[in-house]
Amino acid sequence: MMQCGWPLMGPLRWLHYVNKEVKVRAGKGEEHRGWLLSVDPVSASVVLVSFGEAVAVRVVMGHAVEAVEVLRAAADDETAKRLRSVFLPPPSPCLDP
Amino acid sequence: SISSSAASDSDSEQLQKEQDARSVLREGFLRCLLSMTNKKVQFQMYENVKVEATFGASDIDVLNFQVSDLHTPIGVQKEALIRCQDVISFTFDV
Repeated sequence: MMQCGWPLMGPLRWLHYVNKEVKVRAGKGEEHRGWLLSVDPVSASVVLVSFGEAVAVRVVMGHAVEAVEVLRAAADDETAKRLRSVFLPPPSPCLDP
Repeated sequence: SISSSAASDSDSEQLQKEQDARSVLREGFLRCLLSMTNKKVQFQMYENVKVEATFGASDIDVLNFQVSDLHTPIGVQKEALIRCQDVISFTFDV
């Protein structure tokens, strides 16, 4: 459980949270769960992804983050694969005849 | 002396690791912004204000978002800048 100083933690410590399921507390009583895809090293904003009917993305601004708690330490292979492909451009069409 | 050069070696190694981490994380975030372009985004702001808008762009230091069709409680603003300091979080569907 990370208590305060999220924006000051730095890239190496943020990297530890990538591909883990987390709960982020922010602002006044907001709480968001999801797989942590990335942390913007400039603004410390957290990108969370959750897989339901649609793939929902929530970004919590770094200045508003109060606490980040790890719920599940590792994504299974399937989830890790889905996480990697969330923001990838669609595959370009095959141009072979 | 040997010790100081060893220290600077491990410093530069540490710096390299940090830079690698920084670039991986930044790329992930920029791809997220890129995929948000022209999508409807719901912003959760302070004072329990929720607004919806079509996302356009962000500046590099994530201080402002440029959006279109910003639905506010007092009407629709065709074009607007949202100050990131006023935002707690935002969400969209991929």
